[in-house]
Amino acid sequence: MNNDPRQITLTEWDEHYEHLQKKGLREPDYGGVLSRHVGDGNKRLLKLRYDNSAAALRLWNFLLTEEKRLHQARAEGKKIVGVMKDLGTVPVMAYSLDNVAAFYPDGAWWIPCVMEFGAGLLEVADSLGIDESFCPVRAMLGAFITESHFPIPDKLICSVGATCDDFSAIAQRLDALGYPIMWWEIPHRRKPESDETAVKLPGGGAAPKSQIEFVMSEFKRIKVVLEELTGQYLNAEKLSAGIKKANQVRRCLAELRNIVFTAKLCPIGAIEMLVAEMLAIHFCSDQNETIIVLTELVNEVKSRVQFGKGVLNADAVKVFWINPVADLQVMNLLEDCGGRICGTEYLFSHALDLIPENVPAIEALAMMALADPMVGSSVDRAERICADIRRFGSEAVLISRIPGASHCALEGKVITEAIHAMLEVSVLEIEVPPVSDSIHPTLCTRLEALIETTKRRRTK
Amino acid sequence: MICAGIDAGSRTIKIVLMDAETKTVITKGLIDQGVEQEKLVLDLYERLFRDNHLNKEDVHRIVATGYGRKIINFAHATITEITCQAVGVHHLLPEAMTIIDIGGQDSKILHLDKDGKIRDFSMNDRCAGGTGHFLEVVAKRLEVSIESLGEMASKSKTPAAISSMCVVFAETEIIGLLATGKKREDIIAGIQRAIAQRVAAMSCHNGGFPIAFTGGVAMISGMDTALQSVLGHNVIVSPYPQMTCALGAAIMASSESVRARL
Repeated sequence: MNNDPRQITLTEWDEHYEHLQKKGLREPDYGGVLSRHVGDGNKRLLKLRYDNSAAALRLWNFLLTEEKRLHQARAEGKKIVGVMKDLGTVPVMAYSLDNVAAFYPDGAWWIPCVMEFGAGLLEVADSLGIDESFCPVRAMLGAFITESHFPIPDKLICSVGATCDDFSAIAQRLDALGYPIMWWEIPHRRKPESDETAVKLPGGGAAPKSQIEFVMSEFKRIKVVLEELTGQYLNAEKLSAGIKKANQVRRCLAELRNIVFTAKLCPIGAIEMLVAEMLAIHFCSDQNETIIVLTELVNEVKSRVQFGKGVLNADAVKVFWINPVADLQVMNLLEDCGGRICGTEYLFSHALDLIPENVPAIEALAMMALADPMVGSSVDRAERICADIRRFGSEAVLISRIPGASHCALEGKVITEAIHAMLEVSVLEIEVPPVSDSIHPTLCTRLEALIETTKRRRTK
Repeated sequence: MICAGIDAGSRTIKIVLMDAETKTVITKGLIDQGVEQEKLVLDLYERLFRDNHLNKEDVHRIVATGYGRKIINFAHATITEITCQAVGVHHLLPEAMTIIDIGGQDSKILHLDKDGKIRDFSMNDRCAGGTGHFLEVVAKRLEVSIESLGEMASKSKTPAAISSMCVVFAETEIIGLLATGKKREDIIAGIQRAIAQRVAAMSCHNGGFPIAFTGGVAMISGMDTALQSVLGHNVIVSPYPQMTCALGAAIMASSESVRARL
């Protein structure tokens, strides 16, 4: 453990990196000083504060070298699969095969954010008729056209049905531009009728058996496509092994979340936790390395908790954060205002739950896919959020929205009302654009007010 | 022992000087906001002391609030306008369970518990619809003073239907309504109703009663009745609606001073 855990700037990291190197820092091949990523155009990194541990350094370097890793995979002759819209099930299938790198092209929505619009991806989307009235994930179109970020995948697999309309439109535009997509359907999760067989889903909730069977039939189609692509047979044994490995990642994350969100002193900041949680979706294009990165992080926070060390004040207000944020700086801002993250729901909470290992692999994956918060109602999502708020003892809730992005236009209202009906915690909804500098005073006022309000309620 | 509450709002700066022990207001003042915010605050602050023959050395604590709170370097602490507004209104109207605060450039709804602590709040500050600025634009476009808006609206028999809450588009709509011969009082009444609807949509229906109405816009007659009509509930206009936030800051400063002395 680092003796003095704290959050530092990118410039401070340069100096700190030298210090760690002198002390014998051992790094993987993608390691190095963090500030070099600014040279790749990631200007936003200059404005963030980072954890000063070697584990966090490895996490950031892992995240920021994904594009290089994908290009390297292509050079090594691996098949590259773009898994679109689905968060955490098809990647498990893909990584069950040898010589495959699966990634999440939708993640390109973050490129304009970290590059402060310098990548020109949104302009490309504009020119293709997908303007700012669409979700920022339209940046993905620009990334495909410019080929300046990820290599064009050998196969694109995308879910449709109970997914967001904006994304479906963007993906259809991509298909029409000559990037053929293998579509699979995910139905809107509904509650089983009284005369239907109900299947309990991971993370709570249930779905009718008929829906599970339907998704299983879709996954069988995907299986065939992956087999044809790789020339390998994706048998039950391989799939089960893939699930076991994915569960290793999920166990690491569950442990990390549990330690961090329940610790008396916050052992690591919000941004690192967000980055770590995102690894659950597609393993940042390297499943084995994901496990190593997360294990180091778990060890770091464990030791900090053991020695009573933290990066934020002891009286920081425990905030439950809902939805990913476009500008990471706002997570730092919440910490500046006196908050800490204790609980999150970034729309992929199902990817954090263990995949059942006691049922046939395809069935287990179908159950996971139907547990996706995005394919069910916002009320279901709110129920899970409330359960996690209780579990982690969160004192306040922050719902973060991204302009133009709405998985459910009314989700904020629905979730707020559900929380108010079940719990006595303050809920604040904010809208954060990709570059939020100009509205920092406004955001600051709201966040400070949430913290003040919660602290005053503590004295009840 | 004097304590001060300074509300550096988006349109005006307000200062309340308070006797910390008795929690009574010694004096209060207000000036328009401007570019040199801290200088304007200092000018008003000094003027209040000078005009009331008070000594600045008797000041124990200053709390700054409002959008410009962070640039008031001589304040001992900053507290958001949300907390200060709740404290100020609760002091004046302890029975209030919901506060509607419409200021120059934002509007807020605060839900309080019986002790006056905030249960929840929501804010509109990304759009001028539902703020005092909207009324300023309307007054200018209709060539009337902002003070006369309420009186004119009260003469309306058939308030105009305003469909747009974007200030720019609403202005275009007003031009269109004038061109069709719609009376100014009907347009004003329509605008007041539209603002009330906008504010009420911010979770006003989820709060407790009674509802207190504060902020600069509460001083414009007709707005309270527009809100009452939309909400279907009585709305109590807070005393000194422009000053309640500064009052809350002064109370918080006083409480802290008294606590520190004990």
